[in-house]
Amino acid sequence: MRIYADHAATTPVSDEAWAAMQPFLREHFGNASEPHWAGREARRGLEAARAQAADALGVSAADVVFTGGASEADNIAVLGRATRGPGRIVTTPLEHPAVSGAVEELERRGCEVVTLPVDADGRVPVGALETAVQPGDLVCTLIWASNLTGVIQPVAEAAAICAERGVPLHLDAVQACPALEVDIGSLPGEITAAVAAHKLGGPKGAGLLCGRGLATLQPVLFGGGQERALRPGTESVAQAAGLGAALAAARADQGRYGRYRAVRDAYEAALSADVPGVTIAGERAERTPGHSLALIEGLNGHALVSLLDEQGVAAAAGPACASAESSASPALTAMGVTADQARGALRLSFGALSEGAHGLLAAGAVVRCAELLRRASAVV
Amino acid sequence: MLRHHDFELAGRVPEPDGEGFAGGSACGDRVRITLALGADGTIAAARFGAAACAHATAAAAWACRRSQGRAFLDAARASLADCAEELGLTGNARDCAAVALDALHAALGDAAERALALPPEHGRVAVAMSGGVDSAVALLRERAGSGDVVGLTLRLWIDEQAPDAERACCSPGAILRARESCHALGLPHVTLDGREAFRRAVVEPFVAGYARGETPNPCTTCNGSYRLAALVAVAERLGAQHVATGHYARLVERDGRTLVGRGADAAKDQSYMLARVPRDVLERLRLPLGDATKAAVRAEAAAAGLSAATARESQDVCFLGGGALDDFLAREGVQQHAGSIRDEAGHELGRHAGTAAYTPGQRRGLGVAAPTKLYVLRADAARNELVVGPRSSLACSEVLLSDTRSEDGVTRVHAKLRGRSPTVSASVERVPGGLRLRLDEPVYGVAAGQTAALYDGDGCVVGSGVIALAESLS
Repeated sequence: MRIYADHAATTPVSDEAWAAMQPFLREHFGNASEPHWAGREARRGLEAARAQAADALGVSAADVVFTGGASEADNIAVLGRATRGPGRIVTTPLEHPAVSGAVEELERRGCEVVTLPVDADGRVPVGALETAVQPGDLVCTLIWASNLTGVIQPVAEAAAICAERGVPLHLDAVQACPALEVDIGSLPGEITAAVAAHKLGGPKGAGLLCGRGLATLQPVLFGGGQERALRPGTESVAQAAGLGAALAAARADQGRYGRYRAVRDAYEAALSADVPGVTIAGERAERTPGHSLALIEGLNGHALVSLLDEQGVAAAAGPACASAESSASPALTAMGVTADQARGALRLSFGALSEGAHGLLAAGAVVRCAELLRRASAVV
Repeated sequence: MLRHHDFELAGRVPEPDGEGFAGGSACGDRVRITLALGADGTIAAARFGAAACAHATAAAAWACRRSQGRAFLDAARASLADCAEELGLTGNARDCAAVALDALHAALGDAAERALALPPEHGRVAVAMSGGVDSAVALLRERAGSGDVVGLTLRLWIDEQAPDAERACCSPGAILRARESCHALGLPHVTLDGREAFRRAVVEPFVAGYARGETPNPCTTCNGSYRLAALVAVAERLGAQHVATGHYARLVERDGRTLVGRGADAAKDQSYMLARVPRDVLERLRLPLGDATKAAVRAEAAAAGLSAATARESQDVCFLGGGALDDFLAREGVQQHAGSIRDEAGHELGRHAGTAAYTPGQRRGLGVAAPTKLYVLRADAARNELVVGPRSSLACSEVLLSDTRSEDGVTRVHAKLRGRSPTVSASVERVPGGLRLRLDEPVYGVAAGQTAALYDGDGCVVGSGVIALAESLS
């Protein structure tokens, strides 16, 4: 048995994306910035991909900048708000390291950082945003859907608050994008949003930064002025084409998300019934459909993932065991999860490779592995 | 990484002969290993409990699999390096495995102390390892001899509140260095947990001594009353008749008796540290660095590629962990109170913040302005007063020693009254309850509670005692 239940980590390249990329690897190999026929062929492909992406995200094509992935997009969007000196930044404990790392760097450079609270369901309270965001702030960052719990954040409310106060809002839409109708153009204000191709059937090493907030962003990378001078470097047309096609395919078939949700719900129901001490993080909140973070009392998520691997189930542990120096993830700590609970975190994320029975099969594997681990932890 | 078959040895040995636990630090991993010994000292069964990440759990299973059926000393060769290599662990993952190896070696140490009784093996030597360069070279030298060598490390103290726990001699890092020095040479290593016994034998008397206003010497007490005897006892269980240490001192046979003599490196001589070691323990001791200089030892360690070659020198009292004495005493419940600083006539000259910070002969840090230089003469614990006076008042020509050990017929000696002071010639006289030393010339700043080592003309320790009372005859 092999079950891939780590779609939040990455996904395989979809047929649509694969087909879209092929012409630009060998046939239309040109440098999209050159005026000759080879360059023009590449440019046409690049702009077609940009149009596809813009259409899927509800933004104008001019407001799409292709990047080498979402981490790069997040860094450009955060660091590019503080090139003219330090100021105040509002952020959340839920951010992906690509955002929180950039914010920490700005803190080292003298910025004041305000971190919003999170409620027990893993949501940033709108009231806290109301209080924290002030006119003149350099940027506010908000992850659209948590990479850990899948919990969807109050993005529309945040955009309204930031727009009213004239503060740019950066959204990490990496987990949200494959799972939701993401209409970035409908959000008011100076919005930027980061998307990664490989979470939704596109290639790794491809991402984009989009939104009308690009207009006021200062560059942090320097080179040949490509991609509105925000992401210089010869354009990777094949990567962009893969991303554009993946976004278009996702947009065209939102129906698949109901299937992911059914698999996830079956998994969670079986897990809660058969494994003692299970809490599903963010269970009462709106979550992305394939995402499940279980906190299993008295177990070590890292050991569980290793045993699940032997059973053919690819899953992810919580971040608690990732390094010796961090006792628990800031996101889980902010939700009121203790270090002990965080150690028992197990993330399964269902998606394109999930079949109907995967939820129950994965839960069965967790039950067997948990029993083994409990035998060892009972006598420690 | 972790596999179902790893859990075949999950569990607990009923009524174990050895039990070891490790973990509980920031990452939260915890591992417990229990062992049963067979009649011949082989590991009959090993079981693990783990609430830990995959790496630590897999390493615990590895430790049990590797131990079962092996002779005790072979089991004690289980190294982190082998575990990491066999399981393919690097970086952080290797550190996780260290928790499991710690639990295994704690279990082996527990078994060695409580249950093991290997038959005496001629030529086998146990080497006391501190994790420092000296004991590592002692190990090399003993290995070059009989080759049948086992490393022993006594975990004496862990004080997480110490400001620099790594400077303490039995920090986790020091114990790992000691173990790795042995394992790198393919030698067994046994870690013993002496924390409770050390507290009773050394730390509590030390704290009580300060509370009485004395200046105790915990190192000579430790060597004389606890550590070496404990090591000899465990060595015997391991079949070793001798314990080697990395002290810069020599053992001298005289009239069928073993005496401690000065080491060849005068600057490093540690014979004073061994002055209180009882004769039956001395007879079991080996001091392979007695003829060595520190420079030669460092060179030997570097040539052998030992990681301990560059380890920091530990000079302080090990359990202070690089911190201040009064902070330590406060942690141990000795409350220091402000009191008077008086001269010999009883006039108050100033205030002190607690007498423990002062030792007789000390001049600095008094905070008292006076026309002549003032020295601490003594602490009066009952009154919480510090008595100060001119240097002449420090002069001491007669010293009483209690708790004495001495060879017969000793009348003239060179007395060393403090670790880093030169010796002074003295006559010895037996008095009820101890010895009286009449010093040929006065010594300035003799502290009650310190160890007095009495040397003969050949630099051999022929007696010792604890300074009970310093009487000034000037």
